[in-house]
Amino acid sequence: MSTLSLDNRDIALDKDGFLVDLKDWSKPVAQALAEREGLELTPEHWEVLELLRQFYQEFELSPATRPLIKYTALKLGPDKGNSLHLNRLFNGTPAKLAAKLAGLPKPTNCI
Amino acid sequence: MAKSLLIISRQAPWAGPSAREALDIALAGGAFDLPLGMLFLDDGVFQLAPAQQPAQLQQKNLAANLQALPMFGVEALFADARSLLERGLDAEHLTLDVEVLDDAALAALIDRFDQVVTL
Amino acid sequence: MSTLHVISHSPFGDNRLSSCLRLLGSNDGLLLCGDAVYALQPGSEPLKALEHANLGARLFALEEDLQARGISSDAARAIDYPAFVQLSLDHDKVNSWL
Repeated sequence: MSTLSLDNRDIALDKDGFLVDLKDWSKPVAQALAEREGLELTPEHWEVLELLRQFYQEFELSPATRPLIKYTALKLGPDKGNSLHLNRLFNGTPAKLAAKLAGLPKPTNCI
Repeated sequence: MAKSLLIISRQAPWAGPSAREALDIALAGGAFDLPLGMLFLDDGVFQLAPAQQPAQLQQKNLAANLQALPMFGVEALFADARSLLERGLDAEHLTLDVEVLDDAALAALIDRFDQVVTL
Repeated sequence: MSTLHVISHSPFGDNRLSSCLRLLGSNDGLLLCGDAVYALQPGSEPLKALEHANLGARLFALEEDLQARGISSDAARAIDYPAFVQLSLDHDKVNSWL
């Protein structure tokens, strides 16, 4: 367990840095989480994070890499829905890292 | 070529862990690109019933999770015609897009897969 | 492709057996073990269903489970564990009805 301090508020994180309470998520929280990972969020990152939140709303689970790629291809087209693009954006672990920044639970079917 | 696996899910959604476990096998296998199929049989077809509100039982929404199967590459989804009929479920109003099979087609389906697990 | 279906639950109050009989292929075998051997209880409904399914030499039961429950039946071939292993190998796959 650790905490993320933001605007005089302490937000609980689990040992892997995922939000304990998914309701804590906001864009500034995502920004702060990204900083912890040494990542600068660009519009290309944000559209994937939005997509992940949409995925979670639809299916109530976090995608592994393969479904993330498939869903991204479906919604944003094959130029963005491929492992190269997503790996580049999220340091080679898109399912795990993007889920973390989007405020989703840790994907269970992910190695 | 990886061996194909048919998962037969035949327990009602909120009675115990079986329905969830069957889905977890399918999602894990799909994430690893295994050729999978899933058949809903007996009380398992209740997983596909409309208008379920699992939040009333503080349960995760299995029906929503089931929708993710095609995203995980599991598109061979089937339901047993008789199980639906016996339980008064209308094949046109299920929460998942499944192919409805009669007895003879069930036997052929099982024959088609390299491995089968029923839970 | 042939499948060996293995059932271990009592047929009373559960429909594994009846569902299995419905989807059994013409080359498939059925092995009853544990409480599923109660399906061979003389005069019982499940035994009638099994006889109706007419599996002939494709119906098996674990001998020790039969003996433990005091059931003897001509409907199924009683086999021991080594024969169970051989039977599994004789089929392309095994489907355990958990």
